[in-house]
Amino acid sequence: MFKRSVRKGNYAYTVTRVKAKKSHLLKEEDYDKMIQMSVPEISRYISEAGYQKEMTDLAGKFSGIALVEHATYQNMANVFKSILGASQGELAIMVAAYLEKWDIWNLKVILRGKSYGVDASGIKEDLVPAGKVDEASLDKLISLDSVDDVLNEYSKVGKVTFPADVISEYKETGNAGVIEDFLDKFHYQRLLDSISPYTQPTKIFLDYIRKEIDVVNLRTIMKLKGEGIYGEQVMKYYIPGGMQIDSKFAQVLANAETVAAASGDMSRLEVYEDYIKPVMDSDNVTNKAVVTSIKKYQEDQAKKMAHMYPLSVLPVIDFMVHKETEVRNIRIVARGVDGGLSRETIKGLLVI
Amino acid sequence: MAEGEALGLIAVGAGLAVGLTGLGAGIAEGNVGAAAVGAITEDASLFGKAMIFMVLPETIVIFGLVISILAIFVM
Repeated sequence: MFKRSVRKGNYAYTVTRVKAKKSHLLKEEDYDKMIQMSVPEISRYISEAGYQKEMTDLAGKFSGIALVEHATYQNMANVFKSILGASQGELAIMVAAYLEKWDIWNLKVILRGKSYGVDASGIKEDLVPAGKVDEASLDKLISLDSVDDVLNEYSKVGKVTFPADVISEYKETGNAGVIEDFLDKFHYQRLLDSISPYTQPTKIFLDYIRKEIDVVNLRTIMKLKGEGIYGEQVMKYYIPGGMQIDSKFAQVLANAETVAAASGDMSRLEVYEDYIKPVMDSDNVTNKAVVTSIKKYQEDQAKKMAHMYPLSVLPVIDFMVHKETEVRNIRIVARGVDGGLSRETIKGLLVI
Repeated sequence: MAEGEALGLIAVGAGLAVGLTGLGAGIAEGNVGAAAVGAITEDASLFGKAMIFMVLPETIVIFGLVISILAIFVM
């Protein structure tokens, strides 16, 4: 799907645009201020911090927390689309492959919406059109009646072949979860395939994605442990292709009944010493705190690689990771304030 | 004959000095120009600064031109 061209990317142009965008991202002191505000004040604050257009566009449709959530996602989609539109050649191929996760996100939203009988406008509100699939194609997917039709259409638009066993399992159980699990694995496989590790920056990018797969696997294992799920059941969510967590090691981590029991095995991981151990050593260990800390590791990895090769795909990916984190942080602050959480709790949930 | 050859070589050297520095400046300006347009797209107020950065690689050609003038008129 992505290997249309092998032309060199327009790195100077795209990276400069991305760096200019990065300079406008919210900083720690902005979150400190926002934590002390009410939801309408947060709305006004983010309007002045680059979300003005989306806030104005959606103000007639939503209000309060819903406005913040929809405007931030819409802004992220617009920003990512502008980066994808600006990039050319091999850079565009890699950016498109990275952003495919939002196509998959949208497909999941549509599938869930269809399963629960949500109307077309309800589904459309929750989409984040930040990927390669354009809004007209998304509208067509929403307009289709059955899940089967949606999958058939998406296999053409997204150039995905759904395996027969996944489809038959879905038809037997009626659970769209099997399709979602397949899509997650498929996305990372295609992303890994789209990166040609012939130059140093693309090698670093490939390593970063492999570390991201480790992070996703580790977070899944941690989250499921929090729900009391461990062992073989966890392994069906395992995404292959990681750097440090292969299927054998994932099995070892999955078999531990609690996070504390997995601690010894996790000490082999790069993320353990600086990110997991301090949380495990603290007084009130929660799975959420461990997962947040792992997310912080992923962001720091992106930050580290961004400065290695200025004219490469690395600063672009670093910005996209940070933009996504910013949007998530704004939503956490807004929801936290709306739900009456304490400032310390909200701050603890943020990835800064 | 020897003098003619020397003059010819000076002319070739002068040409290379301007030609190669021009090529170098072109490569540099390609990247700087793309970055400048990217910066202006995001923030139009950066036009002045971007323009200065655009012009900087042209100094390389001036060095080449000086060398070629020296080669032709001094040597």
